[in-house]
Amino acid sequence: MDEREEVKKLLLLATMAGRIMLKAGAETYRAEDTIIRICKSRKDIRYVDAYVVPTGIFISLEYKGELLSYIKRNKTISIDLNKIDMVNEFSRSFVNSQMSIDDGIKELKRINKTDAYKSKTKSLFGSLGAALFCVLFGGTFLDFISSFIVSLTVLTFINKISKLELTFFVNNLFGSILASGLSFITVMVGLGQNLDKVIIGSIMCLVPGVAITNAIRDTMSGEFLSGLSRGMEAVFSAIAIALGVGIILNFYAKGVF
Amino acid sequence: MVIIKQLIISFFSTIGFSILFGSPTKTLGYNGLTGAIGWTVYFITANIFHSNVSATFLGALTVGLLGELLARKCKKPATIFITSGIIPLVPGAGMYYTMLAIIENDFTMAATKGVETFFVATAIAVGVIISSAFSRSIKRVKLKD
Repeated sequence: MDEREEVKKLLLLATMAGRIMLKAGAETYRAEDTIIRICKSRKDIRYVDAYVVPTGIFISLEYKGELLSYIKRNKTISIDLNKIDMVNEFSRSFVNSQMSIDDGIKELKRINKTDAYKSKTKSLFGSLGAALFCVLFGGTFLDFISSFIVSLTVLTFINKISKLELTFFVNNLFGSILASGLSFITVMVGLGQNLDKVIIGSIMCLVPGVAITNAIRDTMSGEFLSGLSRGMEAVFSAIAIALGVGIILNFYAKGVF
Repeated sequence: MVIIKQLIISFFSTIGFSILFGSPTKTLGYNGLTGAIGWTVYFITANIFHSNVSATFLGALTVGLLGELLARKCKKPATIFITSGIIPLVPGAGMYYTMLAIIENDFTMAATKGVETFFVATAIAVGVIISSAFSRSIKRVKLKD
């Protein structure tokens, strides 16, 4: 009886590890691999299988002729490379050592709470990256400054409204309306010189490039459901951003400003 | 001279985006390096081939191979380097120009730009996939020996 509880806890631990990875934007095969490795490292569990898609985790394992399973729903994915790395290291040390399962769960909870950088630092450097990107595309120094200001505002704004738990579509739509509107204002004031360069730089922090690439990557390695799920998110984020930019450009073209 | 300027700017730009993606502090320099070299390969080959798609493919291939190499060296998942390394190659500009063409009712231009954007995204994915498939098969062959 006691052993059975232990196995249940192990299953919980494996699910937690997989979920943190998935939420941080890891590939689904990596999450599956981690879960299976963690489960197989303890007791005499002969059969484990995990099925991970971006929207949920399904695990089942066999212990002494009894099937145990766990389902965990996942709703949001936000990229956090540090967490992927930490869980990866944790699973390696958990598999290779005799760490107790309770300690493992504690460690995972700690990992889930750590942030590599404060959100202000993230916004600051993210917008610096976006502004430099604007220069990479042929923007001038003044474009750099206006793009920096615009993307800093947009990232701070996105941080604020993501707490309201609107969907990703609304977040991206408002973000890109703000980005292109502000870019337009900076150009009108005379700070920015090339409207297109400033807008391209500012929407870079919203563009779902990683999601698009991961979606195609998943599909090509045979993970069709993950590919479809990530691809849908990427396509609709792109549509939201394009809509936002389109609304502002349309006003501009019709001479509202 | 232009190439060195591009190299430096893309290095710092990639580091900025890596921090936005919460990359581990220790690997930030390597992240920047991956992005910078990938972008420079793209920049040089785009000037030679006059084709965005093939240049992006070569850039992404470089990012993928570098990512796998650095993953071995630092004992970290390759995703950390690849996710931030492909950022400069991502077709944000293509998306913008597609939208601009739609607004201006120039649908031929919109289709041209839109298809190019899609193929650039595919090229990134193919480049990354090929390099990671290679590194996995090398690992398997090594294990057999």
